Amino acid sequence: MKKTHAALFLSLLLTIFMIQPLSAEITGKQIMEDVYNKPTGDDMQGELTMTLTNKQGESRVRTLKQYIKYGDEVDKKIMFFQAPADVRGTSFMNWSYADGRDDDQWIYLPALKRTKRISSDGKSDYFMGSDFTYDDLGDRHPDEDTHTLLREETLEGKTCWVVESIPKEEDYMYSKTITWVMKDNYLGLRREFYDEDGDLLKILTIKKFDQIDGFWTILETEMKNVQKDHKTNMAFNNVQINRGIPDRRFTERSMTLGR
Amino acid sequence: MLIRKMKYIILVGLIMINGSVYGMDNIYISGYARNYTGMLLEGDRDFSIIQNTLDLNFEKKSMKGGLLVNPYLYHTFDSNLEIGLREAYLDLFFDNFDLRIGKQQIIQGKAEGAFITDVVSPKDLQEFLLPDFDEIRMGVTAFKINAYHGNSTYEAVWVPVFTPTRMPDATSIWNPGMDYPVQPVFDYSTSDVPARLENSEAFIRYSTLTSRFDLELVGGYMFYDDPVMHMTKEFNPVTQQLTGLTVRPEYHRVTLGGGSVSLPVGSIILRGESGFYSGRYFQIESPAYPGATVKKNFLHSMAGLDFNVRGIIFSSQIIQEYILDYESGILNDEFDHTLTFLAKKDFLQEKLWLELFIYTGLNEGDALIRPKISYSFTDGFDILLGSNIFAGDAGRFGRFDDNDMIYAKIKYYF
Repeated sequence: MKKTHAALFLSLLLTIFMIQPLSAEITGKQIMEDVYNKPTGDDMQGELTMTLTNKQGESRVRTLKQYIKYGDEVDKKIMFFQAPADVRGTSFMNWSYADGRDDDQWIYLPALKRTKRISSDGKSDYFMGSDFTYDDLGDRHPDEDTHTLLREETLEGKTCWVVESIPKEEDYMYSKTITWVMKDNYLGLRREFYDEDGDLLKILTIKKFDQIDGFWTILETEMKNVQKDHKTNMAFNNVQINRGIPDRRFTERSMTLGR
Repeated sequence: MLIRKMKYIILVGLIMINGSVYGMDNIYISGYARNYTGMLLEGDRDFSIIQNTLDLNFEKKSMKGGLLVNPYLYHTFDSNLEIGLREAYLDLFFDNFDLRIGKQQIIQGKAEGAFITDVVSPKDLQEFLLPDFDEIRMGVTAFKINAYHGNSTYEAVWVPVFTPTRMPDATSIWNPGMDYPVQPVFDYSTSDVPARLENSEAFIRYSTLTSRFDLELVGGYMFYDDPVMHMTKEFNPVTQQLTGLTVRPEYHRVTLGGGSVSLPVGSIILRGESGFYSGRYFQIESPAYPGATVKKNFLHSMAGLDFNVRGIIFSSQIIQEYILDYESGILNDEFDHTLTFLAKKDFLQEKLWLELFIYTGLNEGDALIRPKISYSFTDGFDILLGSNIFAGDAGRFGRFDDNDMIYAKIKYYF
């Protein structure tokens, strides 16, 4: 009898230990860390078309080529502006560091024929007049926010975690963001940005995504400013991943020559 | 002459537009058309400028090379049609170095609105410092080689033919003029620098971009772009009064060594630049120098900072000119200081820009104040309204106190 009780107790104990990891709930922080750390390849290149549309329905189009190289210590990005005509030949380079120090940024203006270091403090500035700030376009480190998993729900047929992220920095440009993260690929299908007063400011929606060279990649996205009724569509074309972009792509020579 | 120039431009354009005949397909054509109208605020409200501009860029690039031809056309209400080539060069690209041969603008340094080590391309000062900088800088025919190692660039430039500063006409409101005690006679026998090997100029530059700072070191053996006015005075032997004056403009060699640096400190970008000129001539009023010129070493420096506050771009610079081993009688001050200030902000998602740029001459208390507002109706179609206000009575800016103006520029890029 004692042996039976002991066996039953042991079975229960083992069951509890086996069940425990399965029933433990994933946290908002874990989800956002997985989003941040999802595989991206060593480098990426492609063409970007930005269409800015105001509330009157008038559109302006910007096109550029961009190259990104991911490293252990530094991620390097360079953009070559191709249109409209008044910005053609301009290039922008950004080095982003894993140790958390400020990014290094340079801009080459063909009219001045000079590569100029610029302050990376303007992360809340809008990129080329679009509805994306420089910070919206970067990978925000999950440690910069406090994350809460609000719920799970299905959006556009995709099962998603809904995660609320509140910045730790008091005077950050957003009071919070809410992200719908797709469970099967860790891409954010939708993100809502709330202003400093807590009102909904912008909605980011993924319009198109696919696996490119084995990596889940966003191919078209739209940011809508609901307060100004202004939106920006970003479409990525000819995306290529892991093609071995050389380091010399991210130099003054490349910025100056546009190649 | 003008017709011949126009034929040349049209021919170049046709060849490039139909470039596929010559195997030069995919030539990219861009440029702008602009109307620039300026009106003086003093006196009878004269138009200081009414100018129509066409600026074209024919560009072709491949992995191994490229070319660029940039003809321009200025039509002004008070002068002839001007047609020229801002740049026209060939590029050859190799693994670790590039060659650029032809007429080109070559820019150095990190100062903005000031030319400290940025002296390879001479300046077109026909409208003082008011035009855009791509129009102030003139192209020079040069052979340029850039070699690369990591994030560093080594540059060597050979300029076979000297090109001086282009000064305003004698009747221009932008002619700074010189005060002479008597009506001078000009002797231009030495004012040309003959196009020969011994008169060529050479420049070297090293630059690097790093994660902590950007650095540039430059050197040059060149002619100073502004002429020196050597003077011969004639006196009445009895009264010792000045009776005649012969002015002989001449360009002289100088040697330049300098550098510039740019580094981030928190959210601020600090910039510095300095150029040491060995053997620059200055005008002097001293009996010890009957030619009225003296040769001195000269140091030209700048310290500046750039930062953003709530989306407003701010930039400020202090610029110092220092004549070493100074002597009394030199017309320039031993130290001359100029302060620049820039504030710039966009609205309506970069459709509307407000800008204020100010030069302040600290020695004379003069200034040039340049507010601007520009609006982009649609992609590539801009209108700019601005004003140039000169303050003070003397000095680099104050001497143009009567030239306060408002202006409009309508520009279409294609």
